[in-house]
Amino acid sequence: MYSILIKHFFRTKTVTLAFVLLMVLGLLSIGTGKQFLTQKQTAITKTIEQQQKHIETQTNLHKDDLGLLLYYLKFSFINNITPLAGISIGQSDLNLHIQNVTILNLEGQKYDTDLINPMRLHVGNLDVSFLIIFLFPLVIISLTFNILSEEEEKGTWKMVTIQGQSSFKFLVMKLSIRILFIFGVLALLFLLTKFALGIPFNFDFIYMISISYLYMLFWFALCFFVILLRKSSNINAIVLLTSWLILVVFLPVLVNNYVTHKYPIGEAFSMTIKQRDEYHKKWDTDKKETLDKFYKHYPQFTKYGIKEEGFSWLWYYAMQQMGDDESKLEREAMYEKIEKREALSKAISQFLPPLQIQLSMNEIANTSLKHHIDFLNATTKFHESIRLQFYPKIFDNESADNVNWKNYNPEFFIAQNEFRFFKNTSYITLIILFLIGFAILKNKKHFT
Amino acid sequence: MKKQVVVLIAKQFFKKTFNNKGLFVLLFIYLTILGYVSINSWNAFEKHNHVVEHHQEKSRQSWEDNPDKHPHRMAHFGSFAFRLQHPLSIFDSGIESYTGNSIFLEAHKQHTANFSEASLSTGLVRFGDLNIAMLLQLILPLIIFFLGYSSITSEKENGTLKIMHIQGSKIKEILLGKSLGLFFVSTLFFIPGLIALWSISFLEHFTANSSIVIRATLITISYLLFYIILCCITVILSGLSKNSNKALLSLLGIWLLFFIIIPKTAQVIGNYTYPNLSKIEFKAAIEEEVSKKGDSHNPNDPYFNSLRDSILKANKITDVKDLPFNYSGFLMSKGEKQSAIIYSNQHQKLIKTYRKQNRITNRLVLINPYLAIKNLSMSLSGTDFDTYVSFLSQTENYRYQQSQYMNDLQMKYISNKAKSSEGKVHVVGKENWKALPAFNYQYIPINKTIIKQLLAIVSLFVWLLLTLVFMSKFSNRFKII
Repeated sequence: MYSILIKHFFRTKTVTLAFVLLMVLGLLSIGTGKQFLTQKQTAITKTIEQQQKHIETQTNLHKDDLGLLLYYLKFSFINNITPLAGISIGQSDLNLHIQNVTILNLEGQKYDTDLINPMRLHVGNLDVSFLIIFLFPLVIISLTFNILSEEEEKGTWKMVTIQGQSSFKFLVMKLSIRILFIFGVLALLFLLTKFALGIPFNFDFIYMISISYLYMLFWFALCFFVILLRKSSNINAIVLLTSWLILVVFLPVLVNNYVTHKYPIGEAFSMTIKQRDEYHKKWDTDKKETLDKFYKHYPQFTKYGIKEEGFSWLWYYAMQQMGDDESKLEREAMYEKIEKREALSKAISQFLPPLQIQLSMNEIANTSLKHHIDFLNATTKFHESIRLQFYPKIFDNESADNVNWKNYNPEFFIAQNEFRFFKNTSYITLIILFLIGFAILKNKKHFT
Repeated sequence: MKKQVVVLIAKQFFKKTFNNKGLFVLLFIYLTILGYVSINSWNAFEKHNHVVEHHQEKSRQSWEDNPDKHPHRMAHFGSFAFRLQHPLSIFDSGIESYTGNSIFLEAHKQHTANFSEASLSTGLVRFGDLNIAMLLQLILPLIIFFLGYSSITSEKENGTLKIMHIQGSKIKEILLGKSLGLFFVSTLFFIPGLIALWSISFLEHFTANSSIVIRATLITISYLLFYIILCCITVILSGLSKNSNKALLSLLGIWLLFFIIIPKTAQVIGNYTYPNLSKIEFKAAIEEEVSKKGDSHNPNDPYFNSLRDSILKANKITDVKDLPFNYSGFLMSKGEKQSAIIYSNQHQKLIKTYRKQNRITNRLVLINPYLAIKNLSMSLSGTDFDTYVSFLSQTENYRYQQSQYMNDLQMKYISNKAKSSEGKVHVVGKENWKALPAFNYQYIPINKTIIKQLLAIVSLFVWLLLTLVFMSKFSNRFKII
């Protein structure tokens, strides 16, 4: 019986078409991920190569003046892209993964975006996560929408019911073939991705796979639910496609639209103006005032005292520091807004599987907004530590030759991934159970 | 062809569609969403432009508030350009969410445009944007397909098509009539969208240089063409299909292919074939070229040293301090000129690569009317790629002029003996800051946009012609039974 059903299944045109479509787009999406990872990796390799070269040229040019040298010297801080980012590119294509900072005012330096064609951002990435979230559900719908209604319309359902076997079991058998097919294709896709992108087999990868399978189950449950409403094939198709349209196309943009408009981030502009003004104003104000503020921030440097006459690097870097210090309020307001956006998006998304899966995948792959903010905060710490290493040297007028430049290699950001699998999947699981349970209860009398 | 028959069939289709109570529900939901989206986008636009104007003024204010200063301090004080949106971005936000909103303009350093909406958003932003155009371009076609998929097949299934044919109506009349009827039904859905467009145009028409009325007219025509084409295609496909089921499936397949898969794949392949430099590589390329051509910040640079020597010779002096103008101002203006040229070359290259990436999509407008309407709608709404590129080049021009203005001031008014820009000694008056006009963003003139989008406009007309010709010349392809 099972083998006949399987044969019957594989004979339909839809299956071949679905398989070819998924494979072609699958390869394309893996290619996209691969290209993305290679580009990011090349940039990292180049940065590592260039830092020593850069230090060498600059130290040759300005070796007599450490203060001037550090005006030019850039230090790199790298957000290492994990291979999983090739599956779910998320926000990591538009945010810069390498920070190249001088010890000057940081806020003017760290928000640069990467160079990327806005038209590409507009149509979105064709990565594996897109395939899973967007296209797999459509394939599931096209394979399952008529498994019961078709039999009823052709009159074969009656034959199934009178043959004595449980008709419910028959339906489940038909459905299970489709589930196995989709699971197989997805497994194949992940296998190809693993080898193409060189993903290590670890918990993150397992989480990624598990939530994808859970998402497939959600769509099967939804189809199962609609099928058992026992309407005609046409109605099933329209109902399921409308649900797809609402869940995958319409609600995500609506939610994003709502979140963006609820929390507009004008603070970003205020912050960026403020950090400029606060630094530049200091050129025209009392030196003592600036230095007092600077010593209040760094009491350990008080010993360098206050020199009112002429230009000194101490004063210059104190001014630069003020750009960061005195735009703190605006900066915090901006981060607060971003956090609110993040929290609201998450709160709404947990009830909507496609959104939840996308956000979870980004989180696992370290390509979420939160991850980028973490990177920015780590950049601030990195910057601070470089500053504190050089401030005393500059203030003491040390020679550039005394610094061991070989130690200044690019540093890497170590991400803290706090993805909680069960917390992120509990609602989806509940929704799935509810859909299946409701469908079975409603049809109890038909299947005995 | 008899006109009355066509009109009669159209009327009959219109009436029949309204027998279905579901349509009212659908129309109601659609219009509610449209209303919500219009009001919401309008508010967001007003808010955004208010925030931009407020910050633009604030930034200018602090520029003008600067006391007497050394001009080079002002060159680094710099200015901000915040991007104003075109009023029609309420209708079609195009690539607005992905383009940088603020750019810092200072001497000899080109910054990127930062703080795009997308860079401050969660991953949800990548699902797309909600605006009137999205409803009109992506959702409404699907509704048209739903309304029209059985237009011919149901007549076939009921056996009424035979009767109509025997009574003397020709196939092409039936096809045309059904298309017309479907078009009338769809007007109920898109006219409100166009009303929103025209309300924006009338209420925001005072925006300078926006040529908003011409834009709105062109947008209206394009959408009308688009829907006529869609209705014809729906009816043709229904006519070619054996039963309603197949008609629905093939229309849905077409929607998926033409509206989702092709646009996305085209852009991805474009990017794949013509990868662009990352920001790190881009900067490195510029730095390398600058150090080759001559770096004015390098005291031992051979190019600038020979420049100095030739000037000393021409003025018959031995020390730059004896020159009648401020030498370091002169040096910086030369350096600025050179690095600006290098930057602009690299930037042109980058934009060219972007254009190559977009080329596949832009050529596919010929076979995909959805891409045609999408591109047209975006560029006519002033939210397309070219508009953004024009913003970037306007800011770079302004940056260059601002820097050279300061270099000129330095050459003229700052003593050649000045060693540092610190303190109140070597300064020029603050009235000079006000004298430099503020950055003033100009939208792309409409005729340029039209020329750029000529292919899309032509392709819509060609599609219209093709569908009409297909209906009348190949009517024997359609089987009555």
